[in-house]
Amino acid sequence: MMDVMGFFDIVLALALPWLGWRLLASSDLFRAVVLFISLGLLMSLTWVRLQAPDVALAEAAIGAGLTGALFLSALRRLERLSESERRLEHAGKREEDETIPPEKRRRAKPVAYVLSLFLLVVFVLLLGWSLGQTPGAKGGLGPAVAGQMGQSGVQSQVTAVLLNFRGYDTLLEMMVLFLAALGVWSLTRVRQTQQGEVPGPVLATLVRLLVPLMIIVAGYLVWIGSSRAGGAFQGGAVLAAAGVLLLLANVTVVRQVPAGLLRWALVLGPLLFLLTAVACMGGGGNLLEYPGQSAGVWILFIESATAVSIGVTLAALYAGGRPPAPSAPEKDNEEGPGSGVDKGGKA
Amino acid sequence: MPDTAFWAVCLVVVPLFFALICFVRSDQAAVLGLLAAGLNALAALAMTVFFVRSGPLRYAIGGWQAPLGINFSIDGLSVLLVAMTAVTGLSVSMYARGYFSLRIGSAGEINRHGHQRAFFWPVWLLLWGALNGLFLSADLFNVYVTLEIIGLSAVVLTALSGKPAARLAAMRYLLVSLLGSCSYLFGVALLYRSYGILDMAALARLISPAPLMWASLALLTTGLLLKTALFPLHFWLPPAHANALAPVSAILSGLVVKASFYLMLRLWGDIFAQVLPFAAYVLLGVLGCGAVLWGAVQALLQKRLKMLIAYSTVAQLGYLFIALPLIRLDPGSSAWEAVILLIMSHACAKSAMFMAAGSIFLKAGHDRIDDLAGIKEVLPISSFAFVLAGVSLMGFPPSGGFVGKWLLLGVSLAGGEWWWGVMLVIGSLLAAGYVYRVASRLLVFKVTFFSRRQSIPPVMEWSAVLLALLALLLGLLAGYPLGLLEAGSPFPLHACREVMP
Repeated sequence: MMDVMGFFDIVLALALPWLGWRLLASSDLFRAVVLFISLGLLMSLTWVRLQAPDVALAEAAIGAGLTGALFLSALRRLERLSESERRLEHAGKREEDETIPPEKRRRAKPVAYVLSLFLLVVFVLLLGWSLGQTPGAKGGLGPAVAGQMGQSGVQSQVTAVLLNFRGYDTLLEMMVLFLAALGVWSLTRVRQTQQGEVPGPVLATLVRLLVPLMIIVAGYLVWIGSSRAGGAFQGGAVLAAAGVLLLLANVTVVRQVPAGLLRWALVLGPLLFLLTAVACMGGGGNLLEYPGQSAGVWILFIESATAVSIGVTLAALYAGGRPPAPSAPEKDNEEGPGSGVDKGGKA
Repeated sequence: MPDTAFWAVCLVVVPLFFALICFVRSDQAAVLGLLAAGLNALAALAMTVFFVRSGPLRYAIGGWQAPLGINFSIDGLSVLLVAMTAVTGLSVSMYARGYFSLRIGSAGEINRHGHQRAFFWPVWLLLWGALNGLFLSADLFNVYVTLEIIGLSAVVLTALSGKPAARLAAMRYLLVSLLGSCSYLFGVALLYRSYGILDMAALARLISPAPLMWASLALLTTGLLLKTALFPLHFWLPPAHANALAPVSAILSGLVVKASFYLMLRLWGDIFAQVLPFAAYVLLGVLGCGAVLWGAVQALLQKRLKMLIAYSTVAQLGYLFIALPLIRLDPGSSAWEAVILLIMSHACAKSAMFMAAGSIFLKAGHDRIDDLAGIKEVLPISSFAFVLAGVSLMGFPPSGGFVGKWLLLGVSLAGGEWWWGVMLVIGSLLAAGYVYRVASRLLVFKVTFFSRRQSIPPVMEWSAVLLALLALLLGLLAGYPLGLLEAGSPFPLHACREVMP
């Protein structure tokens, strides 16, 4: 058995850099995206082999699944860039460097390739050597975490670190996610889709069957996060996948969500997390110091709220812009290249 | 009972809370944003006042002490930088209020500028909260998260202008910032592998020379230098800072680059100071000299005002790196005081300069330096603010820049390494060159200046001039902030003395 797993590990270790190389060398963007998704799945397997199931789940759902979907949707936008918009973009570039024609700028010289490859190899060798030379700290903070699990309010060490011992980090990470959505919304606006895009019967059935199931799975992942692999990020990723599916199928309900509600859904998780953290100070505790034995309840509360926001945020990233204005046509002067795209669907 | 730690928590929580609320109630964004800025400044003031009484302290977030949990470490350096952020941030916020209402009022394109205002406030508040969090944090990984927020929001703010050039600069900024973050994170991971902790103070006690430590130090430093835009890694800075909206340029040049330099100070001035050879500091100092020369020469050659100011930032960041070897050389603490004074006065002066330049841009409709002659006839206060800020950048007495450079000069002469002092003087002369180049146009007499008809709101002009005045007076008032530094010395001073060559 050990031999089989050892062989599997070797295959993984060889396949990962090879896939990475193929990805970087690919001149076809679509091919590169497909390779990226495969790389994400292999990475997820690697995390399983490293006995980090939480990371594996997150990597599969977010690294491979949602990022892949984001790339594909970005790719479709790139293809739809009209000629005029392209010219606009080049006009912007020309301010930087006038002499190089745009088609040549993409390709670096072979010397640069060889040099950077050489530097990379030297760096990796040096790093490997120094890793071999220096003994690691035994277990890191593992023993400290294990020692305090009784007070953490949960059974899973990962959840205890993420939401109790280092909950402040997670709070700020939620802000990063919120900021990502803010950034996309500030750049562009989703345009109203043309009416009458009816999804095919297969997709419609799939959505009807899968979406409720995915919501249940998301809830389960959040719930199970207190004792095993799972939690807000994994649950939120599944919710987001459901959202992406709804966007793909062009279900009318999704497009009719009022913008105000959408905004509240985006901030719900970070806001409740922040307010909980401050509320903990009410009883004389420190920031995020859950009072008494109530840590478990608070963590579940925070995780549920953040899972919803993570799901909505990731789906909003996929939709790729702030909601269209209620009154249909308007002058969108700030819309640069890449804005003229429908919300989600019609792949 | 509110104490130092309570106000420190407020400094992180309040901006983040208002950022979320600003996003939901985007019609009220400007009012809420200004309210948050005011509360923030109050919290910073309160923290400073309480800090004088309480002295440096640590605060365990979640009640978990250092190796397990994340702690705030509140010392003189953090308090000074938080206060600097509060002062600069408050005046930029007031400026931004005038700036956006002017643009929305005059352009008649409610959609375009309305959305800029609606997104500026939440992103700027997130950035502010993260800056405070960074200065207060004692945990290397937590610092990474705050750096991530800072980098990402800086990129979003850069792209907000919507011009193709700004978007392109923002994209480049994003890639550089991510590369820097990755490098930093990699370094933190290696440190954690070696020592099993992330707390800065605890790490400083454990650090010992080992191959892996050098690798992680190299990665941490590379990441931070990319983000601080030290020559020759500065290539992304001028287009990003010059093409952003005026309040955004002020924030980017005044505050954002200081965040990663603050971490350099912590790493090179304290955590790794025991093991680093003097030669490594000299290397950074030499790069700093390169930055001073290259940035100043490029600034002299620029045709556009905002590009000139952006290259001046490249040059001024060079001084901060020249100070690093001097900190190491210095048996007392005057090099420390100098570098902090330089950081603070540059934050005020550069923000004021970008704000004044923004007003000039709006009034004139362009920022070509050669065509700005006589603008003081229509914009006397902004022109005055520009010149005042320039005086501080040149390092004329009594500005903060002067005192900072004077202290550094003293250290370099006393330490027998006079060439650093020569670089400081050359840098000041070059700075005088590019400031005069603009000032001579701005202050020219009796030229009728044909301007757009829009009138600049007084708040935009006055916030710039007050900030520039503060930079100038910082030299006179230097005793007070530097006293704060003595009260809660950033843990290093003694450590440095022991390893003096």
